[in-house]
Amino acid sequence: MIEVLWHGRGGQGAFTAARLLGAAASIADGAYALAFPSFGPERRGAPMRAFTKISDAPIGDRSAIDRADYVIYLDDTLLDASGEAWQRELKSGGRVLVNSVKRYADERIVAIDANGLSTEILGRAIPNTVFLGALSVLCESVSEENVIEAIRQYMPAKLHAKNERIVAEARERVLARGPQGGGEVAGAAGTEARAAVDSARSSEGFEGSERFGGPESLERSETPGTPESPEPSETPENVSRETSRVADEGGHAGASVSETPDVMRACEHIPVLRSHFVAPPSLDPAEYARTTCYAAGHLVAKNAGWRNERPVINAEACTGCLQCYLYCPDGTIYKTPSAAAHAADSRRSQGASAPVAVDYDFCKGCGVCAKACRFDAIRMIPESEANAR
Amino acid sequence: MAAKVNARTITDDELFFGHKACAGCGGSLAVRAALKVLGPHAICALPAGCMSAVGFNFPQLCFANNAIITPFAATAAVLSGIEAGLRAQGKKPEDCTVVGFAGDGGTADIGLQALSGAIDRNDDILYICYDNEAYMNTGIQKSSLTPFGAKTTTTPAGRNAHGCLTQKKSLFEIVAAHGIPYAATASIGYLPDFMNKVQKAASIRGAKYIHVIAPCPTGWGCGVDETVEIAKEVVDCGLWYLAEYEGPQVSGVPGGKVTLNRDPKEFTSVEAYLRRQGRFRALTDEEVASVERGRDEKWRYLRSL
Repeated sequence: MIEVLWHGRGGQGAFTAARLLGAAASIADGAYALAFPSFGPERRGAPMRAFTKISDAPIGDRSAIDRADYVIYLDDTLLDASGEAWQRELKSGGRVLVNSVKRYADERIVAIDANGLSTEILGRAIPNTVFLGALSVLCESVSEENVIEAIRQYMPAKLHAKNERIVAEARERVLARGPQGGGEVAGAAGTEARAAVDSARSSEGFEGSERFGGPESLERSETPGTPESPEPSETPENVSRETSRVADEGGHAGASVSETPDVMRACEHIPVLRSHFVAPPSLDPAEYARTTCYAAGHLVAKNAGWRNERPVINAEACTGCLQCYLYCPDGTIYKTPSAAAHAADSRRSQGASAPVAVDYDFCKGCGVCAKACRFDAIRMIPESEANAR
Repeated sequence: MAAKVNARTITDDELFFGHKACAGCGGSLAVRAALKVLGPHAICALPAGCMSAVGFNFPQLCFANNAIITPFAATAAVLSGIEAGLRAQGKKPEDCTVVGFAGDGGTADIGLQALSGAIDRNDDILYICYDNEAYMNTGIQKSSLTPFGAKTTTTPAGRNAHGCLTQKKSLFEIVAAHGIPYAATASIGYLPDFMNKVQKAASIRGAKYIHVIAPCPTGWGCGVDETVEIAKEVVDCGLWYLAEYEGPQVSGVPGGKVTLNRDPKEFTSVEAYLRRQGRFRALTDEEVASVERGRDEKWRYLRSL
């Protein structure tokens, strides 16, 4: 039996892909397949799993797949840092397929820029059918003809042509690098991203990402693939939440991480209210008892991986009206120290930093800020473009 | 009365952060904005619904405030209990608002009895209903605040029916009819108006209710970047209204006083508002016209209050 485990986020079409794969694999006589999803409270963007089982005999076992021949990640932020999870889920000789522009050192991981490819053809990043194409190359039980036939039988007619093109294109990209090879299969954007990442890496050194976190930190838990793999969030515009907050709020007063008050350092994985950088909470028990609720929140995962586009603020066009800050559903736009200066001086100097900045660790890329801006100072750019910079 | 709140005067603190709501979620914006007004000493209670599902994904806990999940029907009853408990222990800070965030289903359907009871007892609580016009958390089922013509999984659009057959329940009037000290309607499209209503409510002792329209891109069939725009448009086209009710306790007027915060001379197009959303796609021109007539009747009534 061939088992395929799909990791995706609600809305990416993981279950659709799992079903289409099962349909494709069971078209031939004497072939059987089973497909089903597993998710918690439904949420567009939330992690979920789907399963496809393929066999030449009827399948009795209807339970979830623990170990699979192919583990597919429709979103690279779901691929765990240590490799522990996917290695546990992968049968020996199996393959991990991941939707990513990144490079992975482990040859069992095949990276495909499925967001880029599906955006090219569909105009939207819906990565699922890319992996049907990839599997039709890698997996003997799934042929291209049967994948196309499954798309024709199970998808609305208006989607046939484009998804067939996606399958063909995905096949080409996988074949181009050889069916046995690992590493990445990326488009042009991926190549640029790699160059940018390489240069960022060589200037910073890998130690850079370890500075702010112990094993529990957000940084480490989000680093995908093996430790050798470069992490694009090392690029300056992608600095971690802790770093950016310290730099932006406390930085101008000369604060650094090591000077962060103990109460905050003790719980680095716990969000600290922005006002604490200005006036840290008192440790007087009478006072502190009233402030313990500040540390009630506990953040272990970023939301950056939900995003296909990101807002970029044009400092010169920004007037500091703060509408983007006000209307952000996620509270990821924050005032920078220059916000106060902005308010005081309407004629700002050239090259001044914008009065607001975006927390890219938690921005979901909805674009509400760009619409709220009356001065066209916020532009939404594709993530692939941002990563390539 | 404290100074008006706006983007400049509001705290930089984010008290609802890192949550797992869909991109462009209107409900999360309502919770975030309300908590920025109420501050870290507010205590929140949330029933089953999107905001509790996206805010408490253990171990990812997204409220900086104390916050608890209540049984579906019990939001207002739990609020009453929290408030009484704090008072009994003598631990209620001056700036502690006991606030509930419930969806339209958790308020107008399932939690209505508890809400009515809390208002009747006039417990010192603030109840905020974020109205995304269906049970979005469970995958879009009709609630009694789903408007006519909206497609949900339980009011599908097909040959014989074009989405929801019933009209949106007039919950603001139902709450006001209790003689509650303070009730208001708001929209996340007009966020400063909403935040100032939250601030006003927090300054009043007794039961308070705010009903805020919070579009849901997933359930409404609109772009994730359109949430705020649509929340403005629903007010501008007259299908929602910004109003306040001050009961006898606050206004001194027997029977209370209703204020329309926004009374446009001309409305924008109802058709444009409906047609931009996937959930109203099946409506015929005649049905759109009937929605418009309904709006005009509603406003004749509102203006007569």
